Parts: sequence; structure tokens; C-alpha cells
Amino acid sequence: MIGIEDFGLRTRLRLMHAIVGVLFVVLFLRLYQLQLLYHSEFGKRSEENSVRTVIKEPVRGYMYDRTGRLMVDVGPSFSVTVTPVSFDTAQVPELSALLEMNPAQLIERINRGRAHSRFSPVRVSRDVTYEVLASVEERLYRLPGVSYDVEWKRTYETGIRAAHLLGYCKEISDAQLTKLGATYRQGDVIGSTGLEASYETFLRGEKGFEFIAVNSKGQMLGPLDGGSRDVDSKDGFDLILSLDLGLQAYAESLMANYRGALVAMDPNDGGILAMVSKPDFDPSVFSGVTPADEWVRLNNDPEKPLFNRATMTRYPPGSTFKMLLAVLALEQGTITEHTTVRCTGGYRFGNRIFKDLHVHGTVNIREAIQQSCNVFFYQLILKTGLDPWFDQARAFGFAKPTGFDTNEETGGLIPNTYYYDRVYGKGRWTQGQLVNLGVGQGEVGVSPLQMARYVAALANGGTLLQPHAVSRIYNKRTNRYSDVDAKPVNIGVSKKTLDIVREGMRWVVEKPGGTGGMARISGVPSAGKTGTAENPHGSDHAWYVGFAPYENPTIAIAVLLENAGFGGTQAAPVAGKVMRRYLGVPDDVWRPAPTAAVPTKDSTASVAHPDTTVLH
Amino acid sequence: MLSYFKEYLDWKTLLLALGLVGIGLLSIYSATVDVNAAANFYRQLAWAGLGFVAMAVAALLPIRTVQRLSWGFFGLMLVVLLVILVIGSTIKGARSWFGVGGFGGQPSELMKVATILAIAAFLARSETSLSDLKDLLKTIAIAAVPMVLILAQPDLGTTIVFFAMLIPILYWAGVSNFFLVAILVPILVAFGALFGTAAFLVAIVIGGGILYYFRENRFAAAVAFGITLAVGLSVQIMYERLPAYQQKRIATFLNPEADPLGAGYNVVQSKIAIGSGGFTGKGFLRGTQTQLNYIPEQWTDFIFCVPGEEYGFLGASLVLLLFALLINRAIRIAALSKNRFGSVAAIGIAGVWITHVFINVGMSMGIMPVIGIPLPFLSYGGSALIANMIMAGLLMNFYANRKEH
Repeated sequence: MIGIEDFGLRTRLRLMHAIVGVLFVVLFLRLYQLQLLYHSEFGKRSEENSVRTVIKEPVRGYMYDRTGRLMVDVGPSFSVTVTPVSFDTAQVPELSALLEMNPAQLIERINRGRAHSRFSPVRVSRDVTYEVLASVEERLYRLPGVSYDVEWKRTYETGIRAAHLLGYCKEISDAQLTKLGATYRQGDVIGSTGLEASYETFLRGEKGFEFIAVNSKGQMLGPLDGGSRDVDSKDGFDLILSLDLGLQAYAESLMANYRGALVAMDPNDGGILAMVSKPDFDPSVFSGVTPADEWVRLNNDPEKPLFNRATMTRYPPGSTFKMLLAVLALEQGTITEHTTVRCTGGYRFGNRIFKDLHVHGTVNIREAIQQSCNVFFYQLILKTGLDPWFDQARAFGFAKPTGFDTNEETGGLIPNTYYYDRVYGKGRWTQGQLVNLGVGQGEVGVSPLQMARYVAALANGGTLLQPHAVSRIYNKRTNRYSDVDAKPVNIGVSKKTLDIVREGMRWVVEKPGGTGGMARISGVPSAGKTGTAENPHGSDHAWYVGFAPYENPTIAIAVLLENAGFGGTQAAPVAGKVMRRYLGVPDDVWRPAPTAAVPTKDSTASVAHPDTTVLH
Repeated sequence: MLSYFKEYLDWKTLLLALGLVGIGLLSIYSATVDVNAAANFYRQLAWAGLGFVAMAVAALLPIRTVQRLSWGFFGLMLVVLLVILVIGSTIKGARSWFGVGGFGGQPSELMKVATILAIAAFLARSETSLSDLKDLLKTIAIAAVPMVLILAQPDLGTTIVFFAMLIPILYWAGVSNFFLVAILVPILVAFGALFGTAAFLVAIVIGGGILYYFRENRFAAAVAFGITLAVGLSVQIMYERLPAYQQKRIATFLNPEADPLGAGYNVVQSKIAIGSGGFTGKGFLRGTQTQLNYIPEQWTDFIFCVPGEEYGFLGASLVLLLFALLINRAIRIAALSKNRFGSVAAIGIAGVWITHVFINVGMSMGIMPVIGIPLPFLSYGGSALIANMIMAGLLMNFYANRKEH
């Protein structure tokens, strides 16, 4: 035991305190030396320090067409950055002059970055020209905190636009930054619309980090620890599209002077061969920095060039919808292929007369499709019933989104009893309102994409396909391709019914008196249907849907031309040209056969004179 | 009531320990807030809560119970160390972390406490006398067994701590001056040998002189000198056998600026961090070195840079002052304690803390080699925090029972 009796205790206690005291005095002296005597040196070194974290941007994935031709890749883009903590605000006038930007905007951008982190560089000007970059670089020595980044921007390798389908990238917004968190930082570019947005996670890749030692003059001394701390960036995945580049370019040129949309689809797998929405815009406008005035112009243009008419319009399909009702009636047994109706040019229901453009005489279902006889279909929907018709439309993919890659689409509108009860009230609507539906008029809204899918299902024998623009994704890290799932669904229509309807569609194109002769393809039998949708606000919208070849079809198409007039004279020629190009058939100018009637307006739903009767 | 508290509650130790824990949490928050390691702060907060409970238990257990449990605790920790040597996971080149539910645990931290208590319990036996060479060797053996196991991990830093804590304990318990000198001189010589032949020869001459001065009999002095020579000569061989990262650390200590981007990087950056703090520091979350993560894993061994950079000389001095007061408090409790168990253990605790603080802070300021040992109460790490809070609790226990024989 240590006790008072131990005379050494006091000595030992003193020595203990003394040793501890000496050790702490040493630490205090060193602290004093470092923090007070050498402060200016270390302060400078910390300011000039010493390691820069350079973010290595991954290369965004490319896009290829179905034949492997490069459509979209990336090129270098230079951004000028400012690190708020080391930037002297006195330099704002000089820097803003160099960058040719408003000083207030420059300050605002720096402050926004400062709020995020004082120490990380904020991009104040993206995609500067080589001239601006060179002049900034010359003056870097007197612009502390200013630097530049090399990034990537989209470059478009071909003349095509496909702007709505491919989409564009934009600088990430504050709201997105908050929502998406750590993956992105201020000033990053993110897919904003189209495939760029929906495949963002695949295209983006992963950032890398490089730690570089620099001296006080900003000269790079080399990688820190021989680069052992660096993290490589991982490039984004490539998209292989089902698009046919040549066909897309051709379709775009054909649509150049129209407002409308065109969708061409492979009826065997649902792959989109061409998708055009006009008017459109040049996606490369967005690849660097979008000039503000250009953005305002695109947004405010009354023609709505940013709007994807191929997937987002809700127009009545007009007579192109007649096959749907024909399928339903044949399947129900309401009619057979031999049932005939005598068309006298109009149909009276109650005190309303629904007129037809021609007196078609006695027609069966095939002839009714061929000649687009309205009278046949006016009364047919009253027999099949509204809700079965609605169900049939749903089975063909209407009134719901198609699940297309871009996620930018409308489900459209198909009415049923529930819908009318809700809109008009129970018992406040009459069967008369249904008559127009039989010819695809009235409260019906469909998109060209839905129509292409519908005609593809008629073409391929009753399989509803999942339309998709991306067929495969190429993983650069594993060098593997993975297929994009596209789930086909069988609609459950008998072959007999389909054969009847398809034959009617073939007559539309092939037989004299058919309304779609201008879509004819020499040497290749094809089928189709014209439509002219009444438009209360202006000229009629022209529709054409079709497929070719008749046996074993390889292309299905839907064309919509807003306010263009007759489907048979406006939309059918465009569809015909696209199909001829795809099938490699010379684009012969179609000449009417001597006996053929001139293609005419094929449907209308306005009230006509009560000078017609309907016979069975 | 108040007088009761005054008599039994060692509020000085309590406040000093809690103050250091608070500064530690603040520093860890600052060092990790930006590096996706913010979870470390919350984990440490949880550990601090657990540590407070452990501290309370250590303070409130009857001192006799503590003394009786010492051997069991020591044995248990030895078993844990052995298990780790066999199956432990490797972190940073050393096999000392114990995976427990996602929290890494380093049993060598608790082993320090167990060893202090075991030695104190051994020396507290009435039949033990350090004048008896057998008992002296037994005392050393109690420290040597865990030391060997920890060195085998290999964890040089913790081994040094074991050694450093043994010296004050032996001195305090009354070992002869010659024996202390005989232990310290070989270390001096070994250290000198690292700097080259000239330094080695100078160290031998000085060491020989010291041994001669403190000699009790010539034979023992001669044996001690022989051991000193052998140790000095074998340093080079041992150095060769050290793992590469330890060798690098030693070489870096000798000249950190030689490889500023490699092994010397931490020290250079740490010095810049502390030096650039100046008198008042750069402010909370405003230290460029800290916030830009120039010092890798700063929240563990280089935590002292955070108060150094962000609160400057004022803040760093406060940290050192708290440590100085706490360690002197431990020595004071050792002197006040009328029972040998508490007295010896308190000195052991003071020895552990002064070793940790001097090596760690010295390393951060470039006057000690980079030996990976944490700064008590401040560095991130659950087991170290728990161990240190237990030691603070034990001090409070010894204080409350200081009058017991």
C-alpha cells in the first residue's frame, strides 16, 4: 500500500505532475508555433492547397438506329466555373465581360452555388465557345477561383430530328436536385423529355473522381498518391433503337409542310420504325445552353412545336375506326360477311339525319369498309351496343396509355355508359349520341401511336403489341446487350373475322372505288383505311392507317394531318410513300384505274337534308 | 445532500470528460458533414449515450466488486483478443476490429482498462512487493501477455500505449530507480538507432552514462547495458520485419515533406490545417482543410485538426487544457486514494491518457510519428469512447472511495 509513511510519495507525485506538465508545455509551444508564429505561411498554404477534386463526367450513352447507325453521341463542351470561396467579387465586371453575360446573372449564379457549398465550383457559363474559353484561360492568373470544366454535350450525327422521340437534355433544376439528391450536382445536365428522360438512369453513367495535387500557382503536380484514390467514371449505356434512320428522314421530309404526326411500326414486334411530329424543333438547340429567347419562342409558338403530336393528341379517328366496329359486330354475330345495308346517302335516327357523302347502294361489310359507307356503321353501333364497343376499343389498346418508352402520351378518350352518365346525367343522353361513334366521330380521342398499334394488331392477326422505340440496351461495362421487354397480348379475335375486315381494308387500296388508292404500292398488295375527322374549329383532319405487304406485313402506319382535308387525298399519299420506301418499291405516281371513282371525302357527321331513307 | 455530493461526487472529472466528449462530437460532425459519412456523427452520438451509462456503472459499482471482477474482465478480454487473432476482420492493415451488429469494435481499447485493473489488483495484494524480482516480473508479464497479442494483430500504436502506461505504474508502485532507467535507456537507444549510426552511438554513450549513474550493483548495470546494446543493434532487423505501412510511417515521421503526396500527406495537411487556424480559427464548418476533406478519415486519428483549424489557438488550447486538467486530476486522485488498488489504477489511467494525448496531438502537429492511436474522447470510434468513459467513471469511483483502505 502507498501511504503517508512512504516518504517517496511526495517526490513521485511531483515528478508525475512535472512530466505531464512538461509534455503539455511541449504541445502548447508547438501549437503556439504552428498557429501564431507560422500562421501566415500555413494560412497561405491552406488557401493554395493543394488537392483538387476533379469530377470526371461519364460519357452519356449513345443512340443507334436499328441497323447500327450512330444517331446521337456526344462531343466536348466547355463550362466556366467559379469556386465561391476563392472568388473575388471585384472580378465580376471583368469575368462577366469575358463571358458576355449580365453581371447580375453571374452574381446570382455564384450565390446560388455558394448556398450549396462555398468550396465546390459552380458552373457559371455552360458550353462556351472556343474564343471565350481562350480569353478566360489567358486571364486565369488574375481571376482566382475561376476555372473551367470539360463536359459532354449531345451531338446529332444525322440530318434527322426525331426531336419528340429522342427528347433533349437540360440543366438540372433546383427542384430536381432536391428530389434526386446525391447523384447530381448543380449544373449537371439531365434528360428532360423523350428517350433522354425515360432512359436517364441508363444513359447517365456514373461520375468518377480524380484527386490532383496542385501548387500555389495552380500548376498540376500530378495525381495524389499516384492516382490510387481516384474513382473511374462509368460511361452510360447505349440505346439501340428500332428506328429506321432512312425511313425516319424520309418521313420527316414528307411531313415538312404539315401539322400532324406519323407513326410507322413493325407489326411483328411493336418496334417503332419512324415517328414524326410536326412542327418540330432542332434537338441540337438544347444540347449546349439553350438561348433564352429560343426557349421562349418554342414555348410560346401557337403551333406548339414542343408538343408530341404522335403520342399526345386526342383527335377523333374518323372512319379509320370503322374496322373496330366491324370486328365487334362480326364477332358478336350481329352481322355476317353477307349482311347488306342499302345506303341512300343518309341515315335517320329519331328526328336527326346522319348523312353520308355518297349513295353507296347495297353494301356488305367489305364494301362498307372499302367505300367508307357511313350509313352501314351508323346503325351498326346501335345494334352492338355502346359498352361492348368500348370493351372492344380497350382490347385494341384505346382509352389507356400504350406504355410507350417516353411516358409522354395520352390515354385518349373512348366513351361508355358510365362516361355519358357522368357527363350528361343518367337518362339525359340518347342512343342518338352513339350514332356518330360508329364512324369514329364525336367524343372519341385517340393518338396516332394508338392508331398505329391498332392497325398493327389488325395486320398481325390480332396481337396487341407494346409499342417501343428502344429495342436493346448495350451495357458498356459488361459488353452485353439486353432486350427491352415488350409484352404482346392476344386480343382474341377469330381469324375469320380478321380476314373479312382485312379484305375490306385491302379493297380500300386495291379495288376501284376504294378510298385509299393513293396509298397503293405497285407490286405489293397492301391494306388500309382513310379517315376524315370533322373538326368544329377548322378544316377536317386527314387520317390514314394501313399496313403492307398484305400477307406477312412488315410495316404498319398511321398518319394524321391536321386540318389538311381528305384522308384519301392528303394522308394516304404520305403513308403510301413511306411504305414504298420501306419496302424498297419505286415511288410510282398513282394513276386512277379507268373505272375507279375519284377518292372522295369518306365520312361526315353533320346533319343533312332528310331526303334519305335507310333500308336494311 | 450537497455535502454528500461534495464528498462523493468527483464533478471535476465528470465535467472534464463530458466537455471533451462534447468537443469530440462537434468535431466529428464538422469533419463528416460533407463526405457522406454524416452517419458517423449519429453513431458516435449513440456511442456517447452508451458510454455515459458505462461511465455511471463504473463510477457506482462498489470498489471491492471492481477489484474482484478485475481478473475475470482481464481473462475475458484475453479470450476476445485471441478469437480476433484467429477470425477477426482486417481494417487498415490490422486485425483488431470486431464486427458487432454493424458497429466496429476494437477490444484492444477495453483491454487497456482490463490490464490496468488487473495490474492494480495484483499490486494491491498485501503479499505483493515490487522489491521482489519475482513479483516485478509477474507485474510486467500481466502487461506483456496482451501486448504480445496486440502486437501480433499487428497494432504497434496500442502496444506502445501498453508499454508507456506500465512505466508510471511501476514507478508509482515503488520500483527502484535503476530498474526504471534500465527499461527506459534501451528505448532511447532503439529510437536513436532509427536515425542512423551516429545517433545510435551518441545514444549508447548517453544511455551508458545514465545506467552507470543509477547503478545499484555493477553486475545488474552491466546486464542492462548488454540488453541496451542488443536492442539497439536489433532495431534495424526489426525495422526490416515491420509491415510496409509501419516502415513508411516511421520514414515519414523522420521527414514528412520528402513525400508530401504519399505517406507524408496526412501530416503535411494536418499541419496546414492547424497552422491555418490562427488565433481564433476559421469558424464552425468553415475550415477549408476539414470541409474539403484534405485529411483522409480525419474523424479518427486526425480529429485534433478540426478544433485546431475551426477554432484556432483558442479552441485547440482549450482542448489541451481540458486534457491537462483531467490527467492531473487522475494523478491527484491516485495521491488521495488510501487504497492501493484505486491509487495504482488511477495512475495507470493517467498514463494511458497522457500517452494517447501526447502521441496523437504530437502526430497531428508533426512532432511525433504517425502512430495510429486515437485522441481520447474526441476521435471517432465506439470502443475507444466507451473505454475512456469507463476510465473516467473508475476515477470517479476511486475518488468516492478514496478514504477506504
